Amino acid sequence: MKNHKRKKAASIVLASLLSISLTACGSGGSDSGTAAGGDSKGSKVTLELAISKSSQDSAFIQQDILDEFEKQTNVRVNLQLIPAEQTTTVLQTKLAVDETPDIIQYNLASAVTDLNLERNFEILDNEPWASRIVNKDVLSAGGHLYSFHVSQDTGMQGVVYNKQIFEDLGLSIPTNYEEFLAICEKIKASGITPVFMPYKDAWAANIWPAAAFADFAAKNDPTFFDDLNSNKKKWSDIPEFKTFLEQQYEVYTKGYTNTDVLSDSYDMAVGKFLNKEVAMMFMGDWLIEGVAEQDPSMELGVFPIPSTQDASLGASPLGGQLFIPKKSKHLEEAKQFLDFIASKEVAQKIVDSKGYVSNFSDVTTPELPAYKQDIVDNYITPKKTVLTTDAYMLVDRSELYRLLQDQFAGGLSPEEVLKAWDEKFSQLMQDKGVAGF
Amino acid sequence: MKRAKNLYSYYMIYPALLIYSIFFVIPAIAGFYYSFTDWRLDRLELQFIGWDNFKKIFSDKTLILALQNTAIFAIVTVVGKNVIGLLLAVGLNMRLRTKNLLRAIFYSPSILSILVISILFTPMLRTEGTINKLLEAVGLHSLSQAWLTNPSIVIWTIAIVSIWQSAGFQMAIYLAGLQSISQEYYEAATIDGASSWKSFFKITLPLLLPAININLMLTLIGGLKVFSEVYVMTGGGPGNASQVVGTIILRSFGEGNWGLGTAVNTLLFVVVTIIAIPLLIFMRRKEVTE
Repeated sequence: MKNHKRKKAASIVLASLLSISLTACGSGGSDSGTAAGGDSKGSKVTLELAISKSSQDSAFIQQDILDEFEKQTNVRVNLQLIPAEQTTTVLQTKLAVDETPDIIQYNLASAVTDLNLERNFEILDNEPWASRIVNKDVLSAGGHLYSFHVSQDTGMQGVVYNKQIFEDLGLSIPTNYEEFLAICEKIKASGITPVFMPYKDAWAANIWPAAAFADFAAKNDPTFFDDLNSNKKKWSDIPEFKTFLEQQYEVYTKGYTNTDVLSDSYDMAVGKFLNKEVAMMFMGDWLIEGVAEQDPSMELGVFPIPSTQDASLGASPLGGQLFIPKKSKHLEEAKQFLDFIASKEVAQKIVDSKGYVSNFSDVTTPELPAYKQDIVDNYITPKKTVLTTDAYMLVDRSELYRLLQDQFAGGLSPEEVLKAWDEKFSQLMQDKGVAGF
Repeated sequence: MKRAKNLYSYYMIYPALLIYSIFFVIPAIAGFYYSFTDWRLDRLELQFIGWDNFKKIFSDKTLILALQNTAIFAIVTVVGKNVIGLLLAVGLNMRLRTKNLLRAIFYSPSILSILVISILFTPMLRTEGTINKLLEAVGLHSLSQAWLTNPSIVIWTIAIVSIWQSAGFQMAIYLAGLQSISQEYYEAATIDGASSWKSFFKITLPLLLPAININLMLTLIGGLKVFSEVYVMTGGGPGNASQVVGTIILRSFGEGNWGLGTAVNTLLFVVVTIIAIPLLIFMRRKEVTE
């Protein structure tokens, strides 16, 4: 009897627990529902623009621009600032439960892997501003324009080098791998470390292959990434990929790098360049910006990863583009917002104030920092850039980075790296439900 | 009348039970369920996929390696923390003039967060770091190592850092245990002519069993759940050389495999339970009361 009563009491507690948790969920859902729709009183539309807190100095959300937009169109833009470390999760959740913002600012390469670009976002190929875009590649994925930006210049990846050291030693930019090794030899002889490899951060080991692979595929096997993503080809099918991995490793084994490549991390890089301890690094041009902030007199430049004769400069799809979710509640107004920013006057204002390389044919690029001007003259204008492999990968890439790190720990040969990545890649694609895997 | 009193005492635990259920029991049951689904945010319809996640765990080389590493870490730290902790406790239970100071010194690392310790140790363990310089200074060149970047020793290095941090905490528990043992036993043993070794094994150890049990449980469960020190010092690297179950769970979530991540978590829960509960029962039986 006693036992029975206790059981009954316990079941009552459990039942009430369940109901509490259920109602908690229910009320939470309806609350956010009213919050999102509550602003739309009268005819005035309010756009929700979701943006990571780390991007709060984004050019697109400057108050004067938003005010001007409201004055012209009577559409208000409400910012949703998301904590930086939770941006991905919050956006994933919002998209999953159809509680979508009208516009999202995010990184294109990551949007492909994190946010299911194809399913969630509008294709912008036919927008009025699309025809004025100079470099469509940096805004595209899977052959379509998915994102919007007025600039085309961030995220160039190659070999960042110290111009002064090159000048002092009488060196010129290498056009192939042999020349590169020769340059390393000369720099080493002068007592400076030729290349800094901070491969404690596994992603840093990916700069060389990401550009080298893409450059090779673009020139020799243009359908490679389509074939890869439909499981018709594998990473290990291209023998040159193995060679490129061997090259990067050889730079290390020949003693042209810091000794402790697996202990040194990217955050040491700026200091190494400032102290003139190192001459080169396989990195993106954001490093140059970082060094220039500390010491504007340092002259750094960037040239393509010298894996093959006259390789192109790697371009990563730039950070912080605008996207319009398919389920946006105010699709028309959201597109209107992009039209507004793309207008000649507004785009010019943004490009001028931020020192961007303009991506519109009728917007002029202001005077740029020397290294940026070099990139524009030598690579962007003659169209000698190539989107890095990251732009084509539909899955989380961190396992590839770890495998590259393992090569430097002596655990894997280049061939094994590619084999292991093939395996992981197809498993991730299969998990994702991509056809053909 | 008596029955009512009993029931009343049960009502008292309901608030705690409620909170415990909301924050632990329900998520745990939900997690158990999700570990049998292909839960991913880019695929909204959950599918029940049976044992597939668990099959995947045991066919993934990295996950097997992570289980091995976790086992190594758990065993090494359980032995290291308890042996060193016990030795320190016995030593500092003697009449030393500096015993309070020494106790404070040995205990102090365990006040700091393991995150802080890990961040401090990372540069010291570099190839050109303090530890190697120290070894070379005392002529032990041959022992200097790439502590955190040599795949075959990295998990041991992390275990040793963890031991260094926590042994003082184990010492504190042992000290408390030692001080509850009445001096009369030792006096009696001395009169009977027992050596100090003999009184250690025949008096100290048996009477210390409750403290040993607590320490074994704490260190074992802590060892199996290791995450922070690995995450900070190596992130599971180089490559996957120091992956443990905790970092694998994080990896699975990062890859978007939420169902798989939950399955690994469930597996960890089952493993910890299977090891901990029988050990607890076994050790309880061995305990003696004064």
